[in-house]
Amino acid sequence: MAPAVTMRSNRVFVVLLVLLFSFCQSFVGGTKEYQRKLIVSVNPNATTLPPGGDLLHVRAVGNDDTLHFLFCSQGAPTLLIVHTNSSTSSVQVNWPQFLSRNVSGGLRVEPQSSIQYSIAVVFSRLLEYDDVNDTAKPDSGFFPPYELQNFKWTRLQLFGAAALVCGKTPEFVNGSLCLKLSVFDSDGRAESWPRLLHSPNSSQLEVWLDGITTQAPNSRFLLELQAVGGDFPLSRVDVRQFIDDEFTPSIFKVSEWVSPAAGGSDVLGYVQWKPVAYRQSSPALEDATPCRYSDPQSQDANATAASSALIRAFFSAHNVTGLNVSFGLAGEPFYNSTKFLSWTVLVGVGAPPVDTFSPIVLTIMAVGLGIPVILLLLGGVFVCIHKRRQGATAAYQSIN
Amino acid sequence: MADFEEQQNLLEEDDESSSGERGSASGADRQMSAICDPSRALHRVVVLTFMCFLGFGSYFCYDNPAALQTQVIQDLNLNTAKFMQLYAWYSWPNVVLCFFGGFLLDRVFGIRLGTIIFSLFVCVGQVIFAAGAWLDLFWLMEVGRFVFGIGGESLAVAQNTYAVNWFKGKELNLVFGLQLSMARLGSTVNMNIMGWVYNKVAAAVGSPGYYTLGASLMIAAVTCVFSLICALVLGFLDKRAERILHKEQGKTGEVIKLTDVKDFPLTLWLIFIICVGYYVAIFPFIGLGQVFFIEKFNFSPAEARAVNSIVYIISAPASPVLGFMVDKTGRNVVWVITAVVATLAAHVMLAFTFWNPWIAMSLLGVSYSLLACALWPMVAFVVPEHQLGTAYGFMQSIQNLGLALIAMAAGAILDSRGYLVLEVFFCACICIALIAVVMLYFVDYVKGGDLNQSAAARAKVQKEATSDAEAKRRPSKQTQGDLARLAPMSAFSLRNRYLSRLGAQDTS
Repeated sequence: MAPAVTMRSNRVFVVLLVLLFSFCQSFVGGTKEYQRKLIVSVNPNATTLPPGGDLLHVRAVGNDDTLHFLFCSQGAPTLLIVHTNSSTSSVQVNWPQFLSRNVSGGLRVEPQSSIQYSIAVVFSRLLEYDDVNDTAKPDSGFFPPYELQNFKWTRLQLFGAAALVCGKTPEFVNGSLCLKLSVFDSDGRAESWPRLLHSPNSSQLEVWLDGITTQAPNSRFLLELQAVGGDFPLSRVDVRQFIDDEFTPSIFKVSEWVSPAAGGSDVLGYVQWKPVAYRQSSPALEDATPCRYSDPQSQDANATAASSALIRAFFSAHNVTGLNVSFGLAGEPFYNSTKFLSWTVLVGVGAPPVDTFSPIVLTIMAVGLGIPVILLLLGGVFVCIHKRRQGATAAYQSIN
Repeated sequence: MADFEEQQNLLEEDDESSSGERGSASGADRQMSAICDPSRALHRVVVLTFMCFLGFGSYFCYDNPAALQTQVIQDLNLNTAKFMQLYAWYSWPNVVLCFFGGFLLDRVFGIRLGTIIFSLFVCVGQVIFAAGAWLDLFWLMEVGRFVFGIGGESLAVAQNTYAVNWFKGKELNLVFGLQLSMARLGSTVNMNIMGWVYNKVAAAVGSPGYYTLGASLMIAAVTCVFSLICALVLGFLDKRAERILHKEQGKTGEVIKLTDVKDFPLTLWLIFIICVGYYVAIFPFIGLGQVFFIEKFNFSPAEARAVNSIVYIISAPASPVLGFMVDKTGRNVVWVITAVVATLAAHVMLAFTFWNPWIAMSLLGVSYSLLACALWPMVAFVVPEHQLGTAYGFMQSIQNLGLALIAMAAGAILDSRGYLVLEVFFCACICIALIAVVMLYFVDYVKGGDLNQSAAARAKVQKEATSDAEAKRRPSKQTQGDLARLAPMSAFSLRNRYLSRLGAQDTS
C-alpha cells in the first residue's frame, strides 16, 4: 500500500515540475520587452486635404529597423506595412500621382534598398445573402455586393496611436461600416474581446457593421479580404489549437493567413484572427458568433490596384490572394437580432504572437497540486517518527 | 383455476389494478391470484416496477437545463451565471430539507401521503418551470426549480423507505440496485432525448424561441405526471397490503438531533470536506459540459450530449460492482484517494489537452462511482449508530449548500474567464478534497487505522467484540463506535448502510 501511495505522489510531482518549469519559462521570456517609438502623421506633406479619404502614416522605430504602417481609405480601405532594416527610412508621397491612381510610384519608401518585406490587406467587398433556411451556407441568395471602394468615407479620427474611419453607402440607410486601426509600441493585449495578443511588430484592425438595414430579415454577411504580399503572397491559412481560452472565452483556435518564406517553415507576414465575431459592442459570452473562412485564392492584381489607391501607389508588380470570412453558423441569430457585428484581425510582419498561460492558472495548479504533495511528504515523515517511537515503547510492553 | 388466472394476469400486467379490485372485492377469504397477493413475489415485482418508476420523473427533469443549455441561454437571453441559477435553486431547499425529510415522512405525513405530496411537488415544480419558459419569465422558472427541489430529494428518501418496507435481506440489494439504475437511466435518457424533442417541437412550431422551450419542458413534465401516477398506485397498493397482511406503515426510522454536531470527530469533518470538494467538481461540470465539448473538441450537439451523459451511464453498472469490491477489500481511505486522484487526472486531461474526451469522461464516471462506494460508508465507521441520521443529514445538507454556491460561481467564472479557468477552478476544488483525504489518512493512521482496515480485519474486530476476548484488545481501539455497531439496525440505517455502498444518496 505504501508503494502505491509513493507512486502516486511521484506522478503528481512530475506534473508539478512540468508546470513550474513552464511558469519559470514564461516569466523569464517575458522580461525581454521590445519597444518601438511611434510617430503618427496624417496626410504627410499634403498641401490640401485629399478628397475622399485620408492617409495615415505611423512610423514605428526600433533599434535598427523601422516599420511603416500606412492606412488609407481612398478607394477600398487598405492597410500597408513596410518593414525596412534602417531606423531612418521615411515615406515620400507624390500627392498628385497618388490621388490620380493611374500609375504606381505615388508612394515610396526611401531608401528603396532597405525594404525587407511588405504586406498589405485590402477590405474589398461586403457580401450579403439571404439565409432563408438557416443553414449558414453562402451558396445562393446573394444580394448585389457592396464595393467598399465606392463607400463614402469619413475623415480619419485619431486617438493616440489608433485611428477610426467609417464608411456609408445609400443601401445601408443609417448604418455604417467602421474600421479602427491600432498600432502598438510594446507587447500587450487589447482590452476588449477577443483580446488578441499583440507585439510591436503588429497592428490590430477592428471591423464593425453598425445599424445596417439589411435586404432580408434573415441576412448574413461575408467580408472579402485581399492580401498583397509582394514576392511572397499569403498563400495558406494555418489553424492552431491551444488550450487556453482565458482571454477569449470558449474559443480554442486561432487562424493565421500567412505568407511563408521560400522553402521554409518561417513566416514573413501574417493576418491573424480568432474565429469569433461579436454581436454587441460590449459583448458577453453569449454574444459570440462563430465565423469561417474560405480558402485563399488568387485575385486579379489589376482589379485590386484599381480599387485601392495605396496598392496602386506602392506596388508595381504584385500577387494578390483573397478570401471570404463568413459570419454565423446554422442556428445562430441573424444580423437583425442586434444589428451589430464586430470582428478583429491582427496584421503584422514576422512570426505571429503565440498565447501563453496567465500566471493565475499556473499559480493555482502549482498550489493545488503542491500542497497535497507537501502534506504527503510531511505526513510520511511524521508517520516514520511515530512508528519509530512506537517501536521503542513496544519493547517495554513485550517484557511485561 | 388459480394457475390459469395467474397466467392470464402475467400477460396483462397493465390490468393489475383491475385484478386488484377483483381480489379485494371478495376479501381475504378468497384465494388471491399471485399477482394480487401482497405476500407473493409476483405482486412484489409489480410493486417494484412502480417503485422504480417513482423516481424516474425527478431524475429525468433534474438535468433538463444541462441537456438544453444552448437553447435555454439563447431563447431566454441569459448568460451562464443566470443559467446556473437553475441548478442553484434546486439545491437551496435541500440544505434545510435533508434534516427534515425523514421526520416529515415518519411523523407528519406518513410514507404513503408523503410520497404522493413530494411527487406532487416534483410535478408542479416542473410545470411551473415549463410555464416560466413559455411566458419568458425567468423568475418563474427559478420558482419552479425551487418547488421541484423540495420534492426531488425527499422523494428519493421515500422511494428507499418503500423499498426497505417491502423487501428484506438479500432482495434489498437487488432492489436498491434497480432503483439506482432507474435513476441513472432517467438522467441518461434526458441527456440524449431532450435535444431531439426540442428540434421536433421547433419544426412543428416553426421556429425556436421560448415557446418551443416551454413546450419541450412541458413534454418533459409528462414523466413527472407518470411518476405521480406511480406514487398514487404505490400508495393504494401499500394501503391494501397493510390491510391484508396487517403490517404497519413503513418508517424511515431517522432520528435527527442537531446537538450531536458538537460530537462529530475530526475524521467526520474531513469526510464532509471531501464530499463537498468532490461533488462540486462533478455536477456543475456536467451542467455546463455540453457546450464545452462542442466548443473545445468540435463535437456535434448530439455527440456532446452523449459524452456528457457517459458519467451516468457508467455509474449504473459500475456502482454495484465497485461497491461489492470495496465491501470485500475494505481499506476505504485508499479507494477514496484513488477516486479523487483519478478525477483530478480526468479534469487535468480535459483542461490541458485535446485528447478525446470520451477517455476523460469515462474515467470520471468510474471514479465518481468508486468514490460514492468508498466515501459514504466511512460515515458509518466514525459515528455511532444513534448519530448516523444527523451525520448523513448534515453531509447532504452541506453538499447541497456547496452545490448551490459553486453552481453560481461556475457560471460567473465561465462568463468572464472561459473554460480553462473554470476547469482549473474545478481542479482546485478536487485538490481541496485531495488535501482533506490525505489528512484523513494520516489522522486515521495516528488514531489507530479504523477507517483504512481491510475487510477481513474489520470482520475480525467485530467478531472479537462479540466474544469475551474484549479485554485482550488494546484500549485505544475500543471506541464507542465499535460497541454501537452491534445494535440492531433500523430501516433508516439499513437504507443508509446499503445506499452508501451504491452512492445513491447524492443528488440525481
